[in-house]
Formats: sequence, C-alpha cells, structure tokens
Amino acid sequence: MSDRKIRLLGCCMAALVSGLVINAAGARADDNTMTQERLLNADQEDGNWILHHKDYSAHRFSNLNQINADSVKNLKVAWTVQLGGLEGGGIWTHGGLEGTPIAENGFLYVTDGWGSVYKIDAHHGEGVMLWKMDPKTDHDWAGAVACCGVDNRGVALWGDMVISHSLDGRLIATDKNTGKIAWQRQVANPDKGEVITGAPLVVKNMAITGVAGAEYGIRGWVAATDLTTHKEVWRTYTIPGKGEPGSETWKDDHEARATGGGSTWVTGSYDPKSDTIFWGVGNPGPDWDSQYRPGDNLYTDSTIALDANSGKIKWHFQHTPNDPYDYDSVAENVLVDLNGPNGTQKLDLEADRNGVGYAVDRDSGKFLWAVPFVKKLTWTKGVDPETGRPLEYDASKPVQNYAVTPSRDDKVTMVCPGNMGGKNWPPTAYNPTLHLWYIPVIESCNRITNEPTKPGSFKAREMFTGGGPSDPVRITGSVTAIDVTTGKEVAKQEAPYPMLGGLLATPTLVFAGQPDGHVMALDAKSLAPLWTFNTGGGVSAPPITFTVDGKQYIALLVGQGGAWDKWFIDGTPDLKRIAPSSTLYVFGL
Amino acid sequence: MNQNSWIMALALILLTAIVSPAVHGQTATHEDSAEGLRLFRTNCAGCHRWHGGGGGGYGGDALSLRRTKLDRAQIIEVIGCGRPGTGMPFHLRDAYNDGKCYGLSATDVSNGMVREAKNFLRPNEIEIIADYVIANVKGRGEPSFAECQAFFGTGSRACNVYKSQQTAGQ
Ligand code: HEC
Repeated sequence: MSDRKIRLLGCCMAALVSGLVINAAGARADDNTMTQERLLNADQEDGNWILHHKDYSAHRFSNLNQINADSVKNLKVAWTVQLGGLEGGGIWTHGGLEGTPIAENGFLYVTDGWGSVYKIDAHHGEGVMLWKMDPKTDHDWAGAVACCGVDNRGVALWGDMVISHSLDGRLIATDKNTGKIAWQRQVANPDKGEVITGAPLVVKNMAITGVAGAEYGIRGWVAATDLTTHKEVWRTYTIPGKGEPGSETWKDDHEARATGGGSTWVTGSYDPKSDTIFWGVGNPGPDWDSQYRPGDNLYTDSTIALDANSGKIKWHFQHTPNDPYDYDSVAENVLVDLNGPNGTQKLDLEADRNGVGYAVDRDSGKFLWAVPFVKKLTWTKGVDPETGRPLEYDASKPVQNYAVTPSRDDKVTMVCPGNMGGKNWPPTAYNPTLHLWYIPVIESCNRITNEPTKPGSFKAREMFTGGGPSDPVRITGSVTAIDVTTGKEVAKQEAPYPMLGGLLATPTLVFAGQPDGHVMALDAKSLAPLWTFNTGGGVSAPPITFTVDGKQYIALLVGQGGAWDKWFIDGTPDLKRIAPSSTLYVFGL
Repeated sequence: MNQNSWIMALALILLTAIVSPAVHGQTATHEDSAEGLRLFRTNCAGCHRWHGGGGGGYGGDALSLRRTKLDRAQIIEVIGCGRPGTGMPFHLRDAYNDGKCYGLSATDVSNGMVREAKNFLRPNEIEIIADYVIANVKGRGEPSFAECQAFFGTGSRACNVYKSQQTAGQ
C-alpha cells in the first residue's frame, strides 16, 4: 500500500470514528441531512452554523459562550488550512475570500472566490481537507465583468447536497460525502454582464439566487430554483417591465429601465410566519448619472418583500430614490421581534450604504425609524421621521436634488459616505438579549465625477456607470452599536481601516476582522477591544462560531477579497503592503 | 551585425508587417509582444479594458488608447509619470524623485495630486507596453471577436458577445 493510501485510509478511519462518537453522544442519526425543519430551527443548533446568516432572521448571533468576555484573552490559533483560488482572471489579478463558513457536526464547508467548495473535517484538533469541488469557472468570461472582485460568499446545505454558486453564473449541487457535482444549472448570464457572488438561500426545497452586475447595465432579479426538479420556480425582476407596477418611476424616453441595474448579490432572510423572503436591491445604472434616468427608479436601493411561493413583491421600501451616489441597498435584512406594551413589533432592519440604518414593519413595509450610523453624512440633511425619505426628496421632481448631488451640472463632488457606502455587503450582527444591532462601518467620503451617459451608448460587458469615484481622503472604519428598542446609537468603536469583513455576535462579545489582517473581539456592551490577533493577511470575510465534541471554536477566512485593493486603495494607502492570501483560520481556547 | 543578419532582420520586419494584419490584426508573436500583452493585462486592462477602449467606471474615466493621438515617447511618459489630477497613475518608482516628470516633486505625490500605481514597472517593461499599445491598440476601430480571442485565448467564453455582435451585423 502506498504511503498516500495509508494516509487516506487514516483520514477516513478518523472520520468514521468521530462519526461514531457523535452518534454515541446522542445526536440524531438524520442530523447530517438538511431539512426545512432544521433550517427553521437553525438558531437552536448551538454547535452548528447551518445558514449563511446563522438563522433565517439573519442575526449572526450564537449562544455559544465558552469563549466569552472573561476567557477571550486566552483565545489562540487552533489550526489553519491553506485554500486555493488565488489566481486572477478577466480584469482581476487575484481572487480573494469573502465567504461565511458553514459548520455542521464538526465539518466545515467553505468557498474560495472562484467558487471552489472545500469540505474540512474539524475533529481531532486540526483541519483535514476531505474534498475540494472545483467548478472550473470560466475565469475570463466572469472575471472581465465582475465589477468588484473575484468573490464567493459561501454555500447552503440541503438534503445530502452542498448548494453553491460560481462567478460565471451557475447554481451547483455537490454530493456532501463525495464532493462530486450532482447537477448544475446556469442561472445568470455573463454575456449580459451578470455574475454571481452571493451565497444561495435555501427555503422550502428552493435555492434562491441573487445576481451582480449593475455597473454593467444589467436588469437585476432574484430567482428560485426547485432543488428536486432543478427547474426555475420563479424569477422576479427588480426593475419592473413595461406597464408593470413601478415602471412609472422610470420617466425617461430612452428605455433606461432596460439597463436599470438593481443587483441582488447579498443573501436575504426569511420569515416563515408570513412566508416572506426579504432581499436587498442594489443601485440604479448608470450609477452616477441620475439625469439619464429621471424618476424614483424602483426597485433600486430598496428592500423588497417577496412571497416565497410566487416571488411576487408584497411590499418595498426605497432608501435613496433616483440615487446619484451608488448607494445600493444590497444588504441583509435583519428580522427582530420586540415585545412591548402594545404587543410584538416585527422589525425589518437594514443598514444602508447611504449611511442610515432603517427599521420598517416587516409585515407592511411601513417605516418606523431611521438612525445615521456613520460619523460624517453629507448627501442629505437628514431622514424625514414620518416617511423615512431623505428630507430634500420632492415627489414632483423627476430628478432629485439632495444636499450634495453629483450631476451633469455639478460634475465633481465630495460625498460622505463615499460610494462604497457607510456599510457595504459585510453583514451586521444582532444580540437578542441586549437588543443591540452591530454594524460594520466604512467611515468615508469620496469624490464622484459625473460623465453624462448618451442614450444608445450601452454595450454588453462594458461598464455603464456614468462616471467614477476616486479616493483622495483617508478612509477608516468602526463597529457601531444601535439599541433597537430606541433606534439610537449607543456605542462606536473606531478602527484604523474600513470594516470589509462583517461581524459575529455572541452573548458577551462581537468579533470583527480588518483588511490589515487584525481580528478582534469587542465587549458586547461597550465595544471595548478585549482581544486582538494579526492573521498576517487581509480580512474581508465574516467570522462564525461552532463546536466540535463540545469545544467552541471561531472560524474565519483570511485573504484580501473584493474591490478594495483595486479601486479604493488610495483611501487606505498603507494597505498596499497586504499581499493576497487564501487561508482558513480556526481559533480556540 | 554583419550584412546577412541585417537582411534577415529586415526580412523579419517586413514579414511581420505583411503577416500581422492577417493574423487577427496582431503583430508577430515574438516574446516582447506576449510579454506586452501580459503586462498590459495585469497593469492596464483593469481601467482601460482588455481592448484599450477605456470608459468610465471604477477605474475613473480612462481615455481610449485606441483613439489616442500620442506617439511612443509620449505614451512612455504617461505610463511612467501618470497624469496629475486624473485617475491615470504613475508606474515608474522614482518618477517624482528628481523632477523628471512635469517638474513635480515627491510632495505633490503625497498630496494625492498624482496617483501611484499598484505595481511599479521597470523602464524596459514600460517600453514593451508602449510597443504593445502601438502595435495592437492604437488606431483600431471597434473591438472584434478575433482581437478578443487574441487577448483571452480560445478557452474562454469571454469573447462570445463579439461573435454574436458580428453575426447580428451580417
Ligand atoms: C487606475 C486606472 C488606470 C490604470 C491602472 C491605467 N490607466 Fe491609463 N489612464 C487612466 C485615466 C483615468 C486616463 C485619462 C487621463 C486624462 O483624463 O487625461 C488615462 C490615460 C492614459 C493615457 C493617455 C491617453 C491620451 O490619449 O491622452 C495613456 C497612454 C494611458 N493611460 C496608458 C496606460 C497604460 C499603458 C497603462 C498600464 C501600464 C495604464 N494607462 C494604466 C486610468 C488608468
């Protein structure tokens, strides 16, 4: 027997033995099969992290408490595993990591930027890679039209399958045990400038997929694929078709709707009580030439509530009508129940790129409150406390004029927050005991230059942005805590760099990573730093926590991903020294 | 160089000139051209696009190198020195150390007046890129399927759209 075979056998024997141990410990035998029942109760599976945002409510909160405000000072690296996906493609010189690991019964499922999926056995105090599924992504086809990096934000689980996306537009089901592709389906079309970077959301035997490409003049959508028949169940466009409700908010005479943008590349959330899926919609296209597309431009920059069975839009709430800033509402929607004297308030929380955190009633979409979470916000004088609209908003005007508005008449403007937003895709976290909502903030301003877009100038696979940003001033970051019972900011911990990775909340802690490599644990109430570690690579992915054989770990992907080092580096010049990397870090006490 | 090799060189140049328009409008496939493509791809294509046509977007409003009027020396200067006050970054490490670029100094760079490239290039690399631009980009019309395949190779679907555009136009 060759040396390699022996090692292989060793790994499998170990896996077998550990499987037996789990069963002996009393776990249900069917625990390795994903069902709707388990997904609905994902927050009860303390040792696992089986949904992208931990639970359907997108809390990214874990009850695990071995690693806590007292013990966290002893947290250290337990093990690491090197991943791949560093190669470039299209306009990108390297891939990066933005994924949220999925953890189930001591096995981790992680992705690299090109959509390879890795299954890692976390038993035995080290990480053993069991398989890698390489979808053989067409690097140049996808990479040439990925506006903002070679990214993949993670997988979902269903039955015995791992469900994932590839940048070149596929939905892929991989056998959990063998790592072999069981089936795949082309959902997005890079020929149209469409790519997929978000993680799928599995609801009731459907995989829900969002799309990226608003910088390339796509018409955005959210699509549901039946996981048994592999057929499309519904596809809801985020830009209404001719004559459909909302089409009246596109008032031009040159079909701006056709290239209207409205991407959906961040995984949504789900409320089983009302059977509603909540999803964030991105910027209108062209990004910085709002005069090309007079009207409010629905459903760009909105939260949309979709009927899970039909995909029909039940309600929408728009944050930045006729957006001239690139202020996507591509963000997770955090669902929170607050018990008060007048019954239960059902909130939908969204931290918008425009620098404002919003709470709306998640059954009706009715505006409740808004709170700015950035230090500097100049684009509007404020949000109307009655309507939730920017104070300057004037329904009678086809083109909005906010406090600062990049336009053909004001071609070069400094805007705060900058176009990466007060918060970008990195997810927030919510502590349900403290009622605190933690936001990973980019504290920034940047300079927008408008370039008038001519009707007829659109070309497939060419940027369609109506201008561009530059970053002449320093950009920093913070973790900002909002008390959702009052809608007020209660703490802000500043950081030297923008928050590009997202957060994890536990009963007494908040975890975050920085693009200079530092990972930190903050006190859940005061946000005072309690622990920090330099991973030596850029962090642009959210941490999670899980247990193996009763011991708690923190897992985090490390490897500079996204658009920052290509398009926004001038705002953080010292990050130029950070080299691309691709590593899974796991920390334990 | 003896007479024979002069003739050889001349013949090679002529051959290149004759053959090149036929081969997808590319110049000879000698090493410099492949290196030029590689360097252009990693350092320039992000902003100027694979075809050099430029356009707005995250890279700023990069000008079209297909329509540029600049000659070789001017292209070399712009690559090395960048263009102060615009999104075009400088690629020569010591461009602003001795006033050789527009008479500006290091302080101007630190004031953010001139953007610094992500990677610096050596002078001979800049020349190779300038030659690539002149041979493959400058003076070209609309990007074609063949040109796209010359850039990305035939293994990718990146050029599909040019194929369908061509068919649609026929
Ligand atoms: C970060 C984006 C960016 C990168 C990278 C970049 N450029 Fe540029 N380039 C620009 C912009 C923006 C302009 C327009 C400057 C202006 O307005 O005058 C420009 C202008 C130019 C010009 C002047 C064209 C003319 O006709 O005046 C040349 C030549 C040029 N670039 C070549 C290159 C080459 C070759 C590379 C790679 C080594 C490169 N650029 C890399 C953004 C970029």
